[in-house]
Amino acid sequence: MNKRLVPYLFIAPYLALTVVFTIYPLLNAAVLAFYQTNGPASRTFVGIDNFRFLLGDPSFHRALTNTTVFTAASVVLVLPLAMGLAVLLHGRKGRARGFLRLLLFSPNLVGGIFVGILFAVLFTPRYGLMNRALHALFGWGLEERFLGNPALVMPAIVVTALWVSVGFNMIYFLAALQGVDKTLEEAARIDGANRLQVFRYVTLPSMRHVVGFVLVTTVISSFQLFELPLALLASTDGKGPDNSGLTLITYLYDVGFNTGDLGLGSAIGWIVAALIFGVSMIQLKLSGLAREQA
Amino acid sequence: MSRFFSIEDFPYGKAPFWLLALALVSTLSVIVTQSSSAASRPELVLATFAPNHRESYQGVARRFEREHGVRVTVELVHSRALETRLGNALLAGTDVPDLAEIGAGAIAYFTRGPLSDVALHDLTDRIEREGIRKRLVESRLSLWSSRGRVFALPHDVHPVGLVYRADLVEELGIDVSRIETWDDFVALGPKVVRDLDGDGIVDRYLIDLPMGAAWGVQVLLLQRGVSLFDERGNVAFDQPETVETIAWYLHRIEGKDRVATECGWGQSLMKAMIDGLALFYMAPDWRTHTIMTDVPNAKGKLRVMPLPAWTPGGRRTSTWGGTGLVVTKTTRHPELAWQLAKALYFDGAELGRRFAATGILPPLADAWSLPEFRAPNAFYGGQPVGELFASLARETPPDWATPYKTQAETRLSDVFLRSLEHFRSHGDSGLKDVIRRELRVAREYLETVIGRNVQARH
Repeated sequence: MNKRLVPYLFIAPYLALTVVFTIYPLLNAAVLAFYQTNGPASRTFVGIDNFRFLLGDPSFHRALTNTTVFTAASVVLVLPLAMGLAVLLHGRKGRARGFLRLLLFSPNLVGGIFVGILFAVLFTPRYGLMNRALHALFGWGLEERFLGNPALVMPAIVVTALWVSVGFNMIYFLAALQGVDKTLEEAARIDGANRLQVFRYVTLPSMRHVVGFVLVTTVISSFQLFELPLALLASTDGKGPDNSGLTLITYLYDVGFNTGDLGLGSAIGWIVAALIFGVSMIQLKLSGLAREQA
Repeated sequence: MSRFFSIEDFPYGKAPFWLLALALVSTLSVIVTQSSSAASRPELVLATFAPNHRESYQGVARRFEREHGVRVTVELVHSRALETRLGNALLAGTDVPDLAEIGAGAIAYFTRGPLSDVALHDLTDRIEREGIRKRLVESRLSLWSSRGRVFALPHDVHPVGLVYRADLVEELGIDVSRIETWDDFVALGPKVVRDLDGDGIVDRYLIDLPMGAAWGVQVLLLQRGVSLFDERGNVAFDQPETVETIAWYLHRIEGKDRVATECGWGQSLMKAMIDGLALFYMAPDWRTHTIMTDVPNAKGKLRVMPLPAWTPGGRRTSTWGGTGLVVTKTTRHPELAWQLAKALYFDGAELGRRFAATGILPPLADAWSLPEFRAPNAFYGGQPVGELFASLARETPPDWATPYKTQAETRLSDVFLRSLEHFRSHGDSGLKDVIRRELRVAREYLETVIGRNVQARH
């Protein structure tokens, strides 16, 4: 056998699976976005009508706004909190660090659906732990309907998501902190830099690849938010009152798998993909990581 | 191994050798597993999402096996997984169960598109030919129909009544037999609604009503004969009755005439029942049974009554939820599958036992005379709950399904919340105009969504 062909032979199974289960569905979804489907076998070519409809669709606008708000809140809250916890844990030694690391990471072990169900119970009016705690601390919130009041739904989703994602991202930052060159930090301290300056001018730049990675993955996962609101807002199929918890993927699911319009669902999917790609590119460009990679 | 072949003999190294070996072993495993599962595949497979259904079907399935010489397997799958997998498998043309039980909210997904494309057996002619329609509560077929054709057998009726804390109601001197209309009911508010411990927070309300979700409004609308869609799939909720119902509902959950609170689901609902946070709870037959298992220490304290009517002499019930049995077109034994469906749903003696075990009233009226339906229920203080629901069953309103039902529910919920917002800030002033406007906006949006489907008229 020609020796040059052997590597291709070994990657052939992977390629075959990728073509069948990734490339073909992607291309099919791209084609489907220009069709309107009705039932399992019937479809009609509608050109760009699905995209045009979404431009004027208030539900899609609401989903886009909600998803953007959630993404912004995730980035603004998750990254500093995860970094702060990582710095705190990095300064600790011995078993305490291991225990706290496990404790903070543990919400990730149970999965989004479980977290959603758990927090739905915690946010129960009158009997929920959150409501009781707020009432005990501030004399407010006992009968507050966090998952029934459109103004409070998104904050409730963000708080729930924080519980999961802060610990997860903290692990990345903790690993990055351990990889920072100690001699550089020591040199900065000898040169008179205080702790904040050392962190700002030495530690953080040394971690920029990890920060960039966490930033990009946080944005991507935020745009793909689905199972958490689905479980948290189960009584409204994940949409929340007045669509206050509707995300792009929840809307895609509703359109594609409740209404059965797979063409419109595919169009939403491609818009989400384009958004994620665009935002990630901007992030990489701004952070200069892409240039460094090149 | 070393005598005949050594890994070192493999020309491309150890890692590629093990990769190749792994690939071959996994491929062979898949082939062997597939062929063995195909060989052992039973002749009829029924998938259901309800554990108590699965339990209660075992006896019928074994008898059916003996009588027809076939093998019947009853599989239990979570409802969301069942509906998603069934939908995807039908789209992809892969293996699906011969029969499946699905929820009322999902049927329209399977019946969308041209009738010839629907992957479920059209049962209309069989139902007519075998005289089944006459024996059923006819309104229940609405849930399982599309464009005049029936695609599932209804499992239940789900008439709605009110479960109430009889001990507390009696303590307050309320005679429920005198409650005929919702006006009579609401008039009890001042007697019931109380801050019992003086902490400024009301501890007892008249009724449990959801503050935002659409189910409460929908149950009341159905009672008034207003469904989200009509028989032809047109949006039907933009009605004067809807305006009246939403305005009535808002006064019950907000403002000086408030008599309702939201007790939620699961544990919080059970705690509310035990605490007596609300005295009355909307309950279809299935919920009366759930309460029996979830709140065992309320035994003897609860009773069931019909819903108050909107007008004297009006309908005293509504409907909430439903399950239906479909026969997939891919079944290799459609006749046997139909026979099994009838055995499961229309076997009189079995229906009696099933009612005793699940509390769910079947739509087959012949069965209601069985002793199990008339038996006193010790949990409800010896009240014959089955008899009460059977007396309401014929009144249950039709509830038509379309693929746009969840979107319609969301829109109705939006109307409700925007009206609530107005009511909070402006009270009654212009309230009905706001409800009318929001209903029109919701209807127009849905009509746009439905209308853009170029094949919707097929």
